[in-house]
Amino acid sequence: MIEGIFVEGLIYSIMALGVFFTFRILDFPDLTVDGSFPMGAVIMAACLHGGISPLAGLFLAFCGGISSGAVTAAIHNKLKVPHLLAGILTMTMLYSVNIRILSNRANLPLLRVDTLLTQVHEYTQGFIAPEYASLLFFIIVVFIIKKLMDIFFITDMGLMFGALGNNEQMVRVQGVNPATLKLIGVGLSNGLVALSGAFAAQYQGFADINLGQGIVVTGLASVMLGEFMLTSNKISVLTLRVILGAILFKAIMYLGRYYGYYINMTPNDLKLIAGVLILISLAAANFKDKGKEGTP
Amino acid sequence: MIDIKNLTKTFHPGTPSEKQVIRSIDLHVEQGDFITVIGSNGAGKTTLLNLISGSLFPSAGTLMIKGRDVTAMPEYLRATHIGRIFQDPLAGTASNMTLEDNMMITCNKGFKWPVISLNKKMRQRFHKEVRQLDMGLESRMKENVSSLSGGQRQALTLLMTVLSSPDILLLDEHTAALDPRNAAMVMDLTRRFITEKKLTSLMITHNMGHAIEFGNRLIMMDGGEIIIDVKGETKKALTIKKLIDMFGSIRKKTFENDEVLLTN
Repeated sequence: MIEGIFVEGLIYSIMALGVFFTFRILDFPDLTVDGSFPMGAVIMAACLHGGISPLAGLFLAFCGGISSGAVTAAIHNKLKVPHLLAGILTMTMLYSVNIRILSNRANLPLLRVDTLLTQVHEYTQGFIAPEYASLLFFIIVVFIIKKLMDIFFITDMGLMFGALGNNEQMVRVQGVNPATLKLIGVGLSNGLVALSGAFAAQYQGFADINLGQGIVVTGLASVMLGEFMLTSNKISVLTLRVILGAILFKAIMYLGRYYGYYINMTPNDLKLIAGVLILISLAAANFKDKGKEGTP
Repeated sequence: MIDIKNLTKTFHPGTPSEKQVIRSIDLHVEQGDFITVIGSNGAGKTTLLNLISGSLFPSAGTLMIKGRDVTAMPEYLRATHIGRIFQDPLAGTASNMTLEDNMMITCNKGFKWPVISLNKKMRQRFHKEVRQLDMGLESRMKENVSSLSGGQRQALTLLMTVLSSPDILLLDEHTAALDPRNAAMVMDLTRRFITEKKLTSLMITHNMGHAIEFGNRLIMMDGGEIIIDVKGETKKALTIKKLIDMFGSIRKKTFENDEVLLTN
């Protein structure tokens, strides 16, 4: 069970990294996530059933995520729609798009097709148990993504994203169009989210269009939990704590699912718990700030 | 460097609250001019700077920068020529990023590609540049800018803006939010950088003393028009008394609310 927590935590941490990118770095609260996560899952499922190799499927899922994020940013930029509404619009439209991708189905099992995970299990057969092979595989995947993000955010473009979240005027004074940056940033963020969805579908063995319901809350809770664990201004620590936060979040959810019945909790209460977790984090952050400033 | 012809800006045209804040201004700014801009509140000083930088677009008239018509050019494209510093010390830097990241962001104008430029050589250069501020900031390059004081942030913003080597520097009361000691320090730096780099600059100030002391040209705005424009020897011989008399003879009125215009 413990390796299951880690594997799920790692898979969802890719999504949490995307949420971290928009919410924390770009200061663009992006709700597209609820649509782009299942989009990644359904693209992957459709690819696998269509005989496309899992790696190509991952790439297509990533591209699908990028385009859905870009749509949100474009709606926000061109029609001057507030970012929350732009995200909700895209998310809603994606629901229909996702059903189309699954050829008018709401879910698709992946039990009898070759996924990336079954391939990994084949390679490691005999010397590592399958569940630990999955764990190892996802540690490597998440490590690579984290490293790429760390490098990306110290490039000139990455630094510009930081400036955009802090002070949009500064970006404009620098001769860069903030709208272009938002397009790229929200796109890349949703690319990560879709990638996470693609991995989640393979791990769970099915793709479902309702996979993304409330996923943005999961991501945000992970980001916030992480913020309690470590404080730093180094990007490598910031991404690390998102991953740790995602694993901790999954652990809390597991506890709720397995031991919750002692207090009459059902799996249906988990969304409530996730919301309450965020509220507690917000309240605690407020409390911490007050302590720092010394004013009521 | 800047050629302004018949520039007009009307806010809320066609509504009862219609207000003409800039009334067909003509202004020619030479290469290397350091112009101080004064005028009471609502005279249109900041609007003029906003029109030059492109944060606002004029209702009529044309604006040329370096011989190129930029009247309809969006702000971010114009920004490659223009460095701008605001009154708010927080407006020029990204609080939650380190000093060196901030300097890296501003040291080159234009679109940024995903390449890593912040290397050892760059760090040494930033270190050297920051040392001339003489504030001990060179030992705090990896700290977030939010830990700096207002004066330090404004001085850093000035340095960063100058390093991006703009053709035109627009200063909008950039010392007004600072305490007197820091304001004097930032003004000294301003003068030093503008003379060293021979920057064409426009500086809005509420301090008549500064307006007279700094720059080679002074313009006074009132009611959306440029009513006084002095340069060269006349500017050098200017005193606060003379300036007030000039205003009186032009506008046929005295400063009833002197404190708005004259903070010394």
